[in-house]
Formats: sequence, C-alpha cells, structure tokens
Amino acid sequence: MLSSIFSTLFSMKFLITIVRLATPIVFAAIGTFIAAQSGIGNIAIESIMTFAALAGVLGSYLSGSPWIGVLTGMAIGVVTVMLIAFFSMKLGANAFLIMIALNTFADSVAIFVMFLMTGEKGTTASLTTPILGSWDIPIIKDIPFIGEVFSGQLTLTYICWLIVILLFIFIYKTPTGMRLRACGLNPDAARTAGINVERLQVLSLVLSGIFAALGGVYLSLNYLKIYSRGMVSGQGWMGVSANGIAAGNYWILILSAIIFAVFRAVSIIFSSNSALPTDLVNAIPYIAVFVILTAVSIINYYRVKRGKVEEQ
Amino acid sequence: MTENRSSKYSKRYKLSISNPKLFDAIKMIIAILIALAITFVILCLISKDPVNALKTILIGPLTKRRYIGAVIESFISFAFAGLAAGVLFKAGGFNMGAEGIYIITGALVAYIASSPFTTSPILHPILCYIGAMILGGLLMIIPSFLKAKFGTNEMVVSLMSNSIYAAVTAYIVRTYIATQQRGGVSSKDYLPTARIGYLYEPLRISACFILLMVVMVILYLVMNKTKLGYQMRLAGTNPKFAEYSGVSAFKLSITTAIIAGVLCGMGSTTQLLTQTSYYTPAQSLVGIGFSGMLLSMLGKNNPIGIVIAAFLIKYLEQGAAVLYFVDGAVPSEIVSIVEGIVIMLISSQYFLRRLRERQLLKEGLEEHAE
Repeated sequence: MLSSIFSTLFSMKFLITIVRLATPIVFAAIGTFIAAQSGIGNIAIESIMTFAALAGVLGSYLSGSPWIGVLTGMAIGVVTVMLIAFFSMKLGANAFLIMIALNTFADSVAIFVMFLMTGEKGTTASLTTPILGSWDIPIIKDIPFIGEVFSGQLTLTYICWLIVILLFIFIYKTPTGMRLRACGLNPDAARTAGINVERLQVLSLVLSGIFAALGGVYLSLNYLKIYSRGMVSGQGWMGVSANGIAAGNYWILILSAIIFAVFRAVSIIFSSNSALPTDLVNAIPYIAVFVILTAVSIINYYRVKRGKVEEQ
Repeated sequence: MTENRSSKYSKRYKLSISNPKLFDAIKMIIAILIALAITFVILCLISKDPVNALKTILIGPLTKRRYIGAVIESFISFAFAGLAAGVLFKAGGFNMGAEGIYIITGALVAYIASSPFTTSPILHPILCYIGAMILGGLLMIIPSFLKAKFGTNEMVVSLMSNSIYAAVTAYIVRTYIATQQRGGVSSKDYLPTARIGYLYEPLRISACFILLMVVMVILYLVMNKTKLGYQMRLAGTNPKFAEYSGVSAFKLSITTAIIAGVLCGMGSTTQLLTQTSYYTPAQSLVGIGFSGMLLSMLGKNNPIGIVIAAFLIKYLEQGAAVLYFVDGAVPSEIVSIVEGIVIMLISSQYFLRRLRERQLLKEGLEEHAE
C-alpha cells in the first residue's frame, strides 16, 4: 500500500491536480493580501466566493456566454465588498461583525437564490450552463514533461497566475501600490502625506472582492460546471490563513497557498483509496492549515521572545 | 450629571430617543420594519399572494398549538449557542469553535445516551449533560489558548477545528456507535431513559426550558454584577486599557472559552435529547453554532436579548416553514435575509444617529432656555 501511495504522489496526475486546486486558494490569498496591505482584514472572502460562484453560473446560464458569467460573478464580488465598505465606513459598524454575518448567511442566501432559479436546494445541475474550457499553449504543449503541466490547464488558472505577477508589480513597483501599503502601515502618517486613505482602502477592497469572486467563479464555471451547496468548503479561509502565515511577504503568501493546495490534492486522491478512513482523509487540508498556522505563530512567538525580531 | 438634575429631567428622558436604551429599542424596531419591508418586496417578486405570505410568516406559528410548541422546543439549543457566542464576543474574542463543539459533543451524548450506564431517567440525561459540558469546555479552550499565548489567528484556527471535529465525529459515529439499520451514517437509538420528557406537554415545555432560563439569569448577573463581567466588558471594549489596569487577558480568554464551551455542551445535549432519537452527524446539529454568533449580534451580547432573539428567529423560521407548507414558491431560507438585514442595521453605530443628535440638540437648547 505504501508503494501505491508513493507512486500516486509522484505522478503527473498529482501535479496537475495541485495546479488545478491551487487556483481558487491563490485567488483567495491574493484577495486577502491586497485588502490587508491597505489595513483592512477582509475575512468575508469565503462568502464572496460563494456568492460569485452562484452568480457566475446564473450569469452564464442567462446570457449563454461563460465570460458574461465571469463578469457577473465579479460584479457580485464588488457589490459585496461595497456593502462591507458602506456599513463599516459610512454607518460605523464593526467591519468584522458585518463580515462574520456575511459568511454565516452566504450559504442560506445562495440556497435561497438557487431555489428561486432552479427549484432545487442542492445544485444547479438542472441548468445547462456554458462553461470556460482549457487553453493549449501552441509550442509548449509539445514539450514532453512541461507541456503536460503548463499547457492544457483551465483558462482561469492562466488568468490567476497573470494576476499574481501583475499584482506584485502593482503593489511593489507603482506609486499607487506604495501609497496603498502606506495606508496599511500607518494610516495617520499616510493621511498627513496627503494620501486619500479611505479611497485607497475602498480600491483595495474592490480588488479584493474581484479576486475572491474570480476564485468562486473558477470553482463553478471552470473547475466544475455547476454550483453546489457548500462547494467553497473553506478554500476562502485557506486564503485568509495563507495571508496570516505570510505576514506581508508576497511570495510566502503564494507558497503557502500552494502548500494548502498540495494537502487538498492529497486528501482528494486518498479519499478514493478504500483502505483509508474517508472521513478522516477529508479533513487533511483543514488539519494542515491548523497545524501550519499554529506552528508559524509559535515560532514567531519564540523569535520575538528571544529578541530576534521586533514585535509587530 | 448630578442626582438632582437627572431626577428633574428623568421623566422627559424616558420618553425621548435621547435616552440611549430607548434609542436602541427604536433602532431595533426600525431595523426590523426595514427588513420586513425588503422581505415584502422579495415576496412580491416570488409569490402570487405576497400579503398573505407575509401574514403567514408573522402569525403562522400562532395558528396551531403544535407550531408554537415546536418553536418553544427548538429555540433552546439555539439560545445556548447564542449565549456561548455572546460570552466570547463580549470579552473581545473571535473564537468561532461553537459549531464544531456542538457536533463533536453530540457524538459523546449519543454514546452515553445509547449505552446502559444507568436506568434512572433522571440520572441518564444528567450524565449526558455533564459529559458534553466537560468535553465542550476543554475543546473550546484550544483556539483561545493559542490566541492568548502565541497570537495565532483564533478565527481561522477555530474554523478549521470545526471542519476537523466534523470529520472526527463522522468517523467516530461510523466506526463505533453506528447502526447498520440506517446505513452506518447515524448512531444507535438512544435508550428511553435518556430522552427528556415534557413538563407541560401541549406547549412542549421541558426541563431544558427551565435550565435555559436559569443559565440566562446567572449569565446576566455574572456579566453585569461581578468582577469577571466587568473585566469581560473592559477587555471587549478596550483591550489595551484592560491590560494596563491589571486584567490578565490570558486568564480571561481561557475563562470565557470554558464558559462558552460548557454552554455549547448544554446546547448540543438539549438539542439531541429533546429533538432526535438518534444522532446523525451530518444533520442533527449542523449550523447551530454559527447561528449562535448571529444571535449574539442581534441580542447585543446581552443574555436576555440573546434568548429573546433566539425565540424570535425560531418563530420566524417556523412561520417560513408554515408558509412553505402553504405556498411552495417561497423557500424557508427567506428568514436569513430578514436576519441579515436586521443584524447589519443594528450593528451600525451611525444608523439613525442624525435623528438622535437633532433630538439631543433640541433638548439641550430647551434646557438652556429654562
């Protein structure tokens, strides 16, 4: 049995599964990261992904074009973050409470809308939805090993990695990105320097909503072709934890998102192995997040204690 | 304000929205009215007879005695989850482990309830309660401890532990206490001695109802009249100030976590022993812990408010269920939309603030003129 486990772990299928599973988590992670950079802890990622996943399917079904579906999902993502911004900035509500409420309602609201559209409460399988396909890259696809991993992946995966690179340039190399980071580091100082802090925070929230929404749309329009109840299943929270582990370091953020995807891939591949208890195998990704997040914070605690790094 | 002045103006203060408590009440009522108005608009879109639909949601549960009995029976364990979240939120904690603790303590309750530990119909439920309360209290400590000691993100850790506990519970039930009768996804039937009977059958009032009332009063007194309650409020509103005035954040978060865990244990036991005759991990207790957080927001972390909110939400859910029975076009999830709008509006500090400020200004001017 051990040999079969090893042969699965080093197979091409496993690598491809990781790439596929990494996309929504990376989207969630960069969504949390951009908001955190401007000083807002966006913990509503999970709910935005849920709303966008459903909106994507409905938009695609009603218009007949998957790209309209993607745009619908993004629009819903923006609406959701604007709702958060409105209640927390204009009406003085505790943003955390608003986001917790959103997360708790997301599933019921999605079920409500789904029931109105399909008459079912489980999945949107009864709607025939046009979905996004995958891309073959002309020359690369003929190279033996690289071609299999890098070519033929799903469309939004390519968009995801493009956004990862563009976002890095935006945050670290452009004046707006620098100002945005200044808002997160010290809003008062930024305000004194003539930066419109609120406007930049709203900008980063909108970007955060768009990224999270793309993660959700990926799940329902690209990875699968339906929205099903509870399909986000903690992937938004994995993005939030990746941001917690990264502590402001962009590449560690991406790396931790990929590590979480590896654990999800392990769990998915082993859940088909009947020799292992399925219930426990399903929990592997959550155990991984729990253990890694705890370990990182314990290490940080002792580093601060020994005086190696300053407390943040 | 001196004693004399307050008594002089007390009569007028009571009747005006410048009184903060009255203002909160008015805010709540207006929030509910707005939510109902939005619900009505939604009903107009999806139902053929929106007026009747809204009426059914609002007074449907009163039409039959068993409907209101169902509300009374089912709101208790929700209220416990709300109280647990209220205790944690009040002290400024964001531990969201209630959901997982409900589910995993359910497995222990099902095990005790289906095993012949005792033949006494009084002792058996008590054993279930004690087991669930101890397990709940212990497990709830973990995220709060990690947060207080190492600064781990307790929200993420507790959410992950929810998923882990759900998986562990499914495994335990399937492997150790399942019955093949139902395909191994649920536990054996509880013994008759473990089930909790009614004290007043027509309205389905059981001893659990009394337990909830006692717990509510105790929590209210603890939160408002004791040192612990004061420390909780202090840490919740201004953690830095609490730390500097000598409140141990570590001790406080562990204490509140234990209280919350024990409350979750009570809630899950109540739910299982009154509402079910066997335990299905994927069904019996799912979602109660999360609803608790919403209840604590609705009740503003006040134990009495939380219990009232739990009753009202269950009442509305029952109303929506009655409506679904009559008119299949309206799914019962419509209640969560009402709930969501009310929560967002009442947690907004500036909602209706201008109205209140105007009133305060007017009163100030009048006072000045006198």
